[in-house]
Amino acid sequence: MEFKYIGKDIPRPDAVKKVTGKAFFLADIKLHGMLHTAILRPEYAHAKIISIDTKEAERCDGVVKVVTGKGCNFRYGDNIRDLTPMAVDRVRHIGEPLAAVIAENPYLANQAMKKIKVEYEPLPVYIDAREAMKKDAMLIHENSGEFWHLPGIGPIPGTNIANTYTLKKGDIEKGFKEADVVVEGEFYYPYGSCAAIEPHGSIVWFHEDKTIEIWSSSICPFIIREDIARVYGLPISDVRVHIPELGGCFGYKSDITVEQTIAYIASFVPGRPVKWVASRKEDFTSTLLGHGIRTIMKIGARKDGKLTALKTTVYQSAGAYADTAVHILIGATHNSTGVYEYPNCYLEGYSVYTNTPPVGAYRGYGHEETQFATERLMDILARKLNMCPFELREKNYLGPGKKTSLGENLWESNGDVKKCAEIVKNIVFSKPKPKQDDDYYYGRGFAGLMKSPKGAPFSSKGCYLKFNVDGSVSINMSGAEVGQGLRTVVRQVAAETLKIAPERIRVYTEIDTQFSPWEWQTIGSMFTIQGGRAVVRACEKAIQKLKETAAQVLRCDVDMLGYDGEYVFLRHDPSASVAVSQIAQGYMCENGMTIGEVVQTTSDCRLPRYSNPDANGQGTMGVSYTFGAQACEIRIEKKTGKIIIDHFVSSFDVGRVINPKQLRGQVVGGVMMAVGATLYEEIKFDSQGKILNPFFAKYRFPNIKDAPRKYTVEFVETPEEIGPFGARGIGEHPVIGVAPAILNAIYDAIGVEFYEIPVTPEKIKQALAEKEMI
Amino acid sequence: MGTKINFTVNGVKRSVEIQGWERAIDVLRDYLDLTGTKKGCDDATCGACMVVINGDAKKSCIIPASKLDGAEVVTIEGLCKGTELHSVQKALIDAGAVQCGFCIPGIVMELYALYTKNIDATEDEITDKLVQHFCRCTGYEAIFEGAKLAQKYLKGRRI
Repeated sequence: MEFKYIGKDIPRPDAVKKVTGKAFFLADIKLHGMLHTAILRPEYAHAKIISIDTKEAERCDGVVKVVTGKGCNFRYGDNIRDLTPMAVDRVRHIGEPLAAVIAENPYLANQAMKKIKVEYEPLPVYIDAREAMKKDAMLIHENSGEFWHLPGIGPIPGTNIANTYTLKKGDIEKGFKEADVVVEGEFYYPYGSCAAIEPHGSIVWFHEDKTIEIWSSSICPFIIREDIARVYGLPISDVRVHIPELGGCFGYKSDITVEQTIAYIASFVPGRPVKWVASRKEDFTSTLLGHGIRTIMKIGARKDGKLTALKTTVYQSAGAYADTAVHILIGATHNSTGVYEYPNCYLEGYSVYTNTPPVGAYRGYGHEETQFATERLMDILARKLNMCPFELREKNYLGPGKKTSLGENLWESNGDVKKCAEIVKNIVFSKPKPKQDDDYYYGRGFAGLMKSPKGAPFSSKGCYLKFNVDGSVSINMSGAEVGQGLRTVVRQVAAETLKIAPERIRVYTEIDTQFSPWEWQTIGSMFTIQGGRAVVRACEKAIQKLKETAAQVLRCDVDMLGYDGEYVFLRHDPSASVAVSQIAQGYMCENGMTIGEVVQTTSDCRLPRYSNPDANGQGTMGVSYTFGAQACEIRIEKKTGKIIIDHFVSSFDVGRVINPKQLRGQVVGGVMMAVGATLYEEIKFDSQGKILNPFFAKYRFPNIKDAPRKYTVEFVETPEEIGPFGARGIGEHPVIGVAPAILNAIYDAIGVEFYEIPVTPEKIKQALAEKEMI
Repeated sequence: MGTKINFTVNGVKRSVEIQGWERAIDVLRDYLDLTGTKKGCDDATCGACMVVINGDAKKSCIIPASKLDGAEVVTIEGLCKGTELHSVQKALIDAGAVQCGFCIPGIVMELYALYTKNIDATEDEITDKLVQHFCRCTGYEAIFEGAKLAQKYLKGRRI
């Protein structure tokens, strides 16, 4: 297929505003009469609140109101309503909102906040899921059984378990009986932070007419609108949410996070907007963390390398509130097969309440945490079988005719992992690796990967399209542009479908629930697929409307007409035509009489047949997969234990490349983020639940000197059936294979098996010392 | 009662009353509405707040506002002439270095200061400057390429 605009490096429509400092983010917004709030966080990660004394704070300069959670009688959440906007009688993690000061400026609010006095009665603290699951563990939520939750998920009353998920495929006992070899291991992907450079923030304004207006650094305005409306007893249409530019998301600005807290605070000062912007410390302690996932995995295989069985147990330390965590656990569990077919699976997962900040989405949404185990074990299994690891993988890759753990059939259109693996293998492994020298050990590692969207069955993405009278087009959608470049994708897909130059298509900037079409939320790497399909649909409807008007003008039937972006014409005699600009808002006859519709259309797009899990935990919960492979060449410095990534190679079957430059940017950015998780980043807690490193100076955020010396990115294009022009999702995928590829390379270099990340230079040095290699 | 400070921002003389707690970034963003300078951390680590003060790139989040008195400040708002982008801005766009855009103003100011002083900066010197800037989106590849492209554009202009 020949494309005019798809596959081209069309420039980002938002680049100039961003590079001139004129893109407006949440922190940049000023409103008339705006107040500021500072939020007090507790001294203990788990404690009863005996008393809160706000008197002194109330007397401070510039203070308008001091707010506590006393008397707050509602809970909120999208999946499990276990959250309160402010601690009521107990604090459950170190970043929980405990009280707030509303003042004329942020400085005065902060000064007054320090005068609030709190008396606590400390309670036992649980950092890890398995500690909190012990029989004698204190309940973090005594009434968890009473929480509203979506059907099919929910807490087990009388325990700290917030949700469980079990998937059964085939007969696991039979599978392990058939196995000649079994490998197993326990793997840990620790707490991390998405750490977008823009911290979270919100402004909430309770208007005198009882409507509520919100601005937030969020990717889910419609969820916020619905949840706030429910809590305050308003029609959803009376809550208006604006989303300004977003300075990165990577997961933790999805779902409802800080908005209910700021709304609760603002509800005490109706008539005035209240603004809060997280400090970096609060962004770590009081929004959402990522991961906290421990995977215990056992794989059975025959001598010939054919996989027979997979048993996975996933423990997710979900944090003090599990609303945002539960679906990650489900995704982590059923995707723990990685890119391989197992005839027999028993996969179980536990989301467990802990006294840590809530875990939420992090780029990859459960996939990297458990496929870390899969891909490490694949190398270990190959060694046990004395088989080439590539041959072992090739024998078991998912592909046409195979079934996923969920029981979904795969077809050629789902993509080709073998091709991706072949490309990566040829680039990294076709020549011998360097021998160790005085300064370095050298290693190479590989990982295959797959990702399903992990969304919701009701998820959809809408598109409003209007033709302007000059034939230019305006498109309004609710995909949150967090940097991934979806505005460019919209523009290119629309340009290709409408056969109009991209410069004549203007895409939306901010999202505003008053004007923007409904979208569930921009998650799961699904915008290109779902949003792109919605764009195609809206464009096709518009072309149809143009033709309907043209049919009246040209006096023929609609199906006899052609369209080329500039004209609608008779297919058998193109000399009979009418310009699009003459019919875009109806056709005006010489006497002024006007016929035909104004060309403006709406559309949306769901994932076809997406379902909730059945009794076996199976169903159509994947629908659209992206497969890929990643590999790296590393050097380990003998003196320091430092790992240098000389080359990181990624290949994905993206279905169709829409914008090569943006796509490469997504992939290398994702790789870097996961290199950070693999080698440097970890949120560290002490035994009392305090975060030891909630600062960039101590949370080891990767910088330019940590970047791989060279990135190679290659794409395979096996068109898929749902996405526009065959395109599929890619946003999260580049993080999935990074940790196992690097850890497999570490083994290749020094023969040490690591099962946890981050693998810091200290850990390498210790391992080398133990092996007497230094 | 506050203290008055007088300084030049993007070529315009400004006079601002400060209370004493403000940092340079607060004056620029909150008092002068120059919100292109961004705040990404609490401890002068991320580089998003970089502005040029008396010719040097400085993190505006740790400089007490009083130090601005008498200074000559250039912020991101001062680089683009009408609709004509500065070469550094143009290069970063052309290289695909702009994703979410939150770290970009700081990087632009860093490179602007670097190349104003030393248009022949080596790759190592460029990296030593960029290491002060955190970016979560790009993996730094396009930023580095953009930095080199900016140097090329600027040299091309000079000839």
